[in-house]
Amino acid sequence: MKNVKVFHIFLSLIFFSSLLFSQKETPPEGSQPKNFVLPAQKTFTLNNGLQVTMVPYGTLPMVTVRCILRAGNLNEPADEVWVADLTDDLLKEGTTSRSAEDIAREAANMGGAVDVSTGSDQSWVGGEVLNEFGPKYIALLADVIQNPSFPETAFERLRKDFLRNLSIAKTRPQSLAMEKFNQVLYGNHPYGHVFPTAEMLQGYTIEQVKSFYDQNIGAQRTHIYVVGKFDEEAMGNAIHDNFDNWKKGPEPLIDIPKPQSKRAVYIIDRPDAPQSTIYMGVPVVDPSSPDYIPLQVTNTLLGGAFSSRITANIREEKGYTYSPRSSISTHYRNAYWAEVADVGTDVTGASLKEIFKEIHGLQNEAPSQKELTGIQNYMAGTFVLRNSAPTGIIGQLSFIDLHGLDTNYLNDYVNNLYQVKPEDVQRIAQTYFVDNEMTIVIVGDRKKITKQVKPFGKIIM
Amino acid sequence: MRRLVSGLFLLMVFAVLWLSCGKQKTSAFQIPVEYHTLNNGLKVVLSPDHTAPIVTVAVYYNIGFRIEPKDRTGFAHLFEHMMFQGSTNLGKMEFIRLVQSNGGVLNGSTRFDFTNYFEILPENKLETALWAEADRMRGLNITEENLKNQQGVVINEVKVNVLNQPYGGFPWLDMPQYANQNWYNSHNFYGDLKDIEAATLQDVKDFFHTYYAPNNAVVTIVGDIEPETALQMVTKYFGDIPSVPQPQKPDISEPRQEEAKRFTKDDPLANRPALAFSYHVPPKNTPEYYAMGLLDQILLQGNDSRLYQELVQNKGLTGSVNGGINMLGNMFDYNGPMLWTGYLFFDNNVSPDTIMHDVDQVIEQLRTQKIDKATLERAKVKMRASLYQTLGELYGFGRADLMACFALFDNNPGEINNLEKQFRAVTPELILKTAREYLRSTNQTVLVIEPKPASQS
Repeated sequence: MKNVKVFHIFLSLIFFSSLLFSQKETPPEGSQPKNFVLPAQKTFTLNNGLQVTMVPYGTLPMVTVRCILRAGNLNEPADEVWVADLTDDLLKEGTTSRSAEDIAREAANMGGAVDVSTGSDQSWVGGEVLNEFGPKYIALLADVIQNPSFPETAFERLRKDFLRNLSIAKTRPQSLAMEKFNQVLYGNHPYGHVFPTAEMLQGYTIEQVKSFYDQNIGAQRTHIYVVGKFDEEAMGNAIHDNFDNWKKGPEPLIDIPKPQSKRAVYIIDRPDAPQSTIYMGVPVVDPSSPDYIPLQVTNTLLGGAFSSRITANIREEKGYTYSPRSSISTHYRNAYWAEVADVGTDVTGASLKEIFKEIHGLQNEAPSQKELTGIQNYMAGTFVLRNSAPTGIIGQLSFIDLHGLDTNYLNDYVNNLYQVKPEDVQRIAQTYFVDNEMTIVIVGDRKKITKQVKPFGKIIM
Repeated sequence: MRRLVSGLFLLMVFAVLWLSCGKQKTSAFQIPVEYHTLNNGLKVVLSPDHTAPIVTVAVYYNIGFRIEPKDRTGFAHLFEHMMFQGSTNLGKMEFIRLVQSNGGVLNGSTRFDFTNYFEILPENKLETALWAEADRMRGLNITEENLKNQQGVVINEVKVNVLNQPYGGFPWLDMPQYANQNWYNSHNFYGDLKDIEAATLQDVKDFFHTYYAPNNAVVTIVGDIEPETALQMVTKYFGDIPSVPQPQKPDISEPRQEEAKRFTKDDPLANRPALAFSYHVPPKNTPEYYAMGLLDQILLQGNDSRLYQELVQNKGLTGSVNGGINMLGNMFDYNGPMLWTGYLFFDNNVSPDTIMHDVDQVIEQLRTQKIDKATLERAKVKMRASLYQTLGELYGFGRADLMACFALFDNNPGEINNLEKQFRAVTPELILKTAREYLRSTNQTVLVIEPKPASQS
C-alpha cells in the first residue's frame, strides 16, 4: 500500500495568538512525525458475487468478522417499516439445524456473539471472537445468514419487543426530532420512514419477513470483512467452504431520493420540557462529489469538533447546551447536513440566533489559514484513529464500498484534506448552508418557545 | 470522541475481562508494563504498543464523586469541567484547541473513585500533551465567568441526560442511592441543581489544592513510545510540581445488607415500566470478587446467559437484560463498595413480581447447585475475550484505564497481567460459596420505574 504522509504538516503548526502576546510558555511542538501506512488489505470475489476483504491488524489474539449486507430499510415496501430490522433480528433466532440457544452458546464458546445491526442502506451480521475460533465462527455466521428458520414463536416475541422499543423511542425528544426532520426531507421515500406505527407492527406476518429475506439477501449483496490477527489461509478457506454455494440473489437496489427542504420551523410539543431539542439542516452533496471533502472540513470547523465555532459559542461562551454537534449523514448518492443541540427552553430562540450567526459568519468571511489548518490537522489525526481499530477499518472500507468510491479515496484522503483552502470553506458555506432551505425541527414546550422561534421561519405545528 | 463529552455522559460500558479455559495450552496475552514513581510522588505507567503511530496520555487523579464535599453534590464532576477552563499557560478553549489542532482527541470523566483526563494523539505529539497536562496540574486560572459558564453547561448536561429523558438516570444514577446506606455511596453524584448553582470560585480553588497533587495522581502512557524517552519527558514537565499532604480518606464502607429492599419511582416521561435489581459485590481482589466476575458472565453477559435465556428467550418478558458490576465503568476501575446490577424494560400488562420471581429462581439455582463444568468454562472464555476487547478499546485507552486504576488503588499496574490467573483459579465450589453470600435475597435491592404520564395540556 501507498504510504500516506499524514503528519508532515504538523511540523509547521502555529499556535494561538493569545500565547504569543502574553509572557506565557509555548507548548513544545513534539518530534518528527512518522509516516502513516494504511493497513494492507486483500480482496477477492466468490463466483456467486460475494466479496471478501481481509485486513491483518494488531497484536490482540482476536478477529472481527462482519458480513455487510447491501440491504436495509431502503428495501422495505412503504407500509412495512422495520421489516428489515425484524428480518435481521430473526436471523439470530434459529437456523434449519440450530436453535437460538445453540447459536448464542456456540458463539459464546468462541468468546463472542452473533450481533446484527440494521441500517438504511447497509446492515451487518457479525462479531469478534478469539482468533483460534475464526474459521468456526465463519461457519456459524454462514448458517445464520443462509439458513434461517424464521420460527413463528420468535417472530411474535420480537413483535412485542419492537412495539415496546417503538413506544419508548417515541418518548425521547431526540428520536422525535430526528424522525420529523427525515419526514420533511424525504417524504414518502423509505428514508422518510424512521418509525412504523404500532398498527403497522401489529399487522406484520412472518410471511412478510420471509419475503423480505428472499427478495433482498444474497451473495451479490454481501461483503465479508475480516480484520484482526488471524490465519489468512484458514479464514479464506472457511469463507469458500461456507459461502461458495450460496445463492447469488439480487443486485443492489438503487433508489435515490430527491430531498425537499424549505425554510420553516416545525414544533413538536413537549409540555414542560426543560430543554428544546433542535435538529436543523439542509440536503448537501454526497461522498461521490468533489465538494464532499471540502464540505467535511467546513462541517468540522463550523460545528463538528469541540473546538468548532458553534460549540465554542453556544456551549463554551453561552452555556446554552451540553452536547451540540453538527454532522453529515450519508446515503447512497444522497446526504444531509444537520446541527443538533439540546438547549435550555428559555434560550431556544437565542440558540438559533447564534447558530445562524456562525453560519453567516463563515459565508461572509473565509476562515483564517491558522484556524483551517488546526481543523485539517484534527481531521488527519482522527482519520488515522479511524484506521487504527478493527471496527473503524471496516467502517472506512464499507463506506467507500457503499458509495462506489475509488480505493484511492482513502490513500488520497489526507492530501485532499489539506488541499482545501479558506476560500473553499466560504464557498461551501455559501453554496450548501442556504438560509431559505434550512429545515428547523424543535421538540420542546410549545407555550414557551413559539414566540422565541417566530423570527426564524414559518411555524408549522 | 469528537468533542469533550464530559463526566457521566461517558458511560463507557467496558465489559470485563478474562481468562482462559482451565487446562488450556494458551498462555495469557501479556502486555509490557513499566512502573516508576517520581520524587514528588507522581506515579508513572508506561506501556509501549507499536501497532499504530499513536499515543494515549491518561492522567488519573485519586478523587471521585464518592468523597466530594457533603454540601456540594455533583462538585467533583463540575470541577472536572473546570480543568478545561484555563491553566497557567493555557487560556479557555486553548487546551482543547491545542490537542485537536495537533491531530488528537480528548476527554475527561468523573467516576466513583477517580477523575480522569486523556488525549489520544499522533505519537510525535507526546511531549505536547505532557506539557499541557503538567500545566494544568501545576495550577488553574479560572474566572468567575468561566465557572458560571460551566455551571450552565453542567446543568444542561443533567437536563439532557436525566431530566428531559424517560428513565433518566435509571439505573446508573438511581440505584446507588437506593441500595447504599453510607452517604458517600448513596448521594446524587450528578448533583442537585441547587448545589451545582451554589458552587463558588473558592470551592474550585480548595478542591484543586487539596486533591490535584502529583502524589495523588498517575500518568499513564500507552502506544508507540520509547519508555526511556517518555519517562524523561514526564520527569521534565511534572517532576518539580510540589506534592501536597493528602487528607485522611473518610470511611466509605457499607454495612452488610440484611434485608431485601424494594423501591418504586414514578416517571412522568416514560410509558413502559422498567426494573433493576442490585446486589452488593465482594470486596475487590478477594477470591470471591473474581468469582463474582464470572457469575456476572454466567447470569447477565451475552445471549447465552441464564437471565437472557429465561426472561427473553423462554418467557418473552423483555427484549434484553443488561447490566454488570459498576455501571460507570467496569469491575476493575473503582475502589470501594460496589453493586452488581441487572436491568430491563417490560410491558404495562406484566407485573414486576412476575419478572422478579423468574430472576430470583434463576439466581437461587446458583445458590443451591454447583455450577456445571461447561457453563463455568464458557464464562471463563467470555471473560478472556472480554478482557482482550477492553485492552483494544479506544486505541489503547482501555488498557491505560486498567493500569491507571491498578497503580492508583493497588500501587501495582502489573496486576493487568495477573487477572487471567485470578479468574482461572475460580472453582465451582467458590462460585457456590460466593453466590450463597452475595446473591442472598437479603442482599438484594429492586427498583421499579412506573410510568406516570403527566396530563397533557
